[in-house]
Amino acid sequence: MKYFLYWGCSLEGTGANFLVSLKPSCEALGMEFEEIEDWNCCGASVSYAGANDLAIKVLNARNLAIAEAEADYDVVAPCSSCYIQMVKVNHEIQEDPTLLKEVNECLAEGGLNYKGGIKVRHIQDVLYNDVGVDKIKAKVVKPLNGLKVAGYVGCQSVRPYGEYDSVNKPIVQDCLLEALGAEAVPFPNKIRCCGSGIFLPEIDYCMGLVKDILEDALNHGAELISTVCPMCAMNLEMYQGRINDAYGTDFDVPIVYLTQLMAVAFGMDLKKDAALNYNVIPPEGILKAAIG
Amino acid sequence: MENMINYNPSFAEEVFRDVDYGDEIKMCMNCGVCAGSCPLREHMDYPPRQIFGLIRAGKREEVLSSKAIMLCTSCYTCVVKCPRNIPVMDVMHGLAHYALKQGYVPRKDTANFGKEFWNQVYKLGRIDEKDLPRRVFFAGGLLEGIKAMLNFMDIGLKLMLHRRMKLLPEKKIKGVKLLQKMLDKAEGLGKGGAAA
Repeated sequence: MKYFLYWGCSLEGTGANFLVSLKPSCEALGMEFEEIEDWNCCGASVSYAGANDLAIKVLNARNLAIAEAEADYDVVAPCSSCYIQMVKVNHEIQEDPTLLKEVNECLAEGGLNYKGGIKVRHIQDVLYNDVGVDKIKAKVVKPLNGLKVAGYVGCQSVRPYGEYDSVNKPIVQDCLLEALGAEAVPFPNKIRCCGSGIFLPEIDYCMGLVKDILEDALNHGAELISTVCPMCAMNLEMYQGRINDAYGTDFDVPIVYLTQLMAVAFGMDLKKDAALNYNVIPPEGILKAAIG
Repeated sequence: MENMINYNPSFAEEVFRDVDYGDEIKMCMNCGVCAGSCPLREHMDYPPRQIFGLIRAGKREEVLSSKAIMLCTSCYTCVVKCPRNIPVMDVMHGLAHYALKQGYVPRKDTANFGKEFWNQVYKLGRIDEKDLPRRVFFAGGLLEGIKAMLNFMDIGLKLMLHRRMKLLPEKKIKGVKLLQKMLDKAEGLGKGGAAA
């Protein structure tokens, strides 16, 4: 199972615990990764302030063209924003030959061409459909023993296309959590938005969104919240103090990546592989108690 | 007759022609599901449905200076929910881009953030996560910048202590010059409107 891994800018910085835990836990499941040579940023959600839509499409098509020329592996994007940017460009290109022509006219300025043949997939899709729940279960040596985890799906990992999971009632993350021995607690705000890329400039408006998500997860019994998106993780974890000040709440709930939980359940090193020391709200205590 | 006099299709034509995804609003039946599904609806002056109505009514000034067109979190809920399959989110992004090009600033901080974000993509091919907020904070002047820096220093320090901030400045990608040529070409070829 070979893939291009397009991890994007955040996973080298604020989302480093995602990348550090993803590599060993997924490689243990037989996945092999290759980097897209000299990849560029996907433009995420706010680039429209400076760029027109075609420029944002060309930006993403460059990565896809480089990958396509190199091998016919699927591109796996763990960051939800990277994922949706690339999937969207692919969809629109495939539906509109005129657009493909325009994109290629621009790519030609750099000697590239994209035929539209690369498949872009989210890490949850690959774990669920290529690896499969059974193979993941078989790798678990330290099951999470019923630890109550709220699998926060967010927005861009399933919307708008619902390529591998429902856009209204997603189940894939919960199935993966249960494969690790956790109890996936249902909570209605599972797919509500956290404010994503505009959280920082619109913090006064977006804190309320995160407050509602945290409150909902905790009200449904969650001890931990898992995510698959560096923006979700950042917004849910780093601003809990600010939210407590603004709303008089007392949130102190660890936010972990699904791949961190995989590394823990696979019996890997809690620091080197699970990257638990990267979390600002420490999840070690809860996880150690769960795995015994 | 009053409506006939106030109705002015020239702005709608401008939007259809010059705004990315602008022609998609032709399908809008004003049902309001987009507004109902939007996480930041309560903070908007006009919900998307009303923005589309204002476009049809020729209210150029109201639309291009509306904060609603820059309050999109890109969550795609409206895109999924719209019964007429309008990519509402893309229309809002297109309108925000167009407004900025025409010299309007619907939301100051988000506009600065987005513009700096794109500047970095264009200059480096990547995002420098520590440089981006710094540039955004200081966009409003030195004093405002220092205040914002101090306000968010605790979060930056925590990230740094937990190895979640690259210490070295982000390097340019190797193909950045060619990337810029591609993006320049796209800027000229695509929609989005020339600067006013």
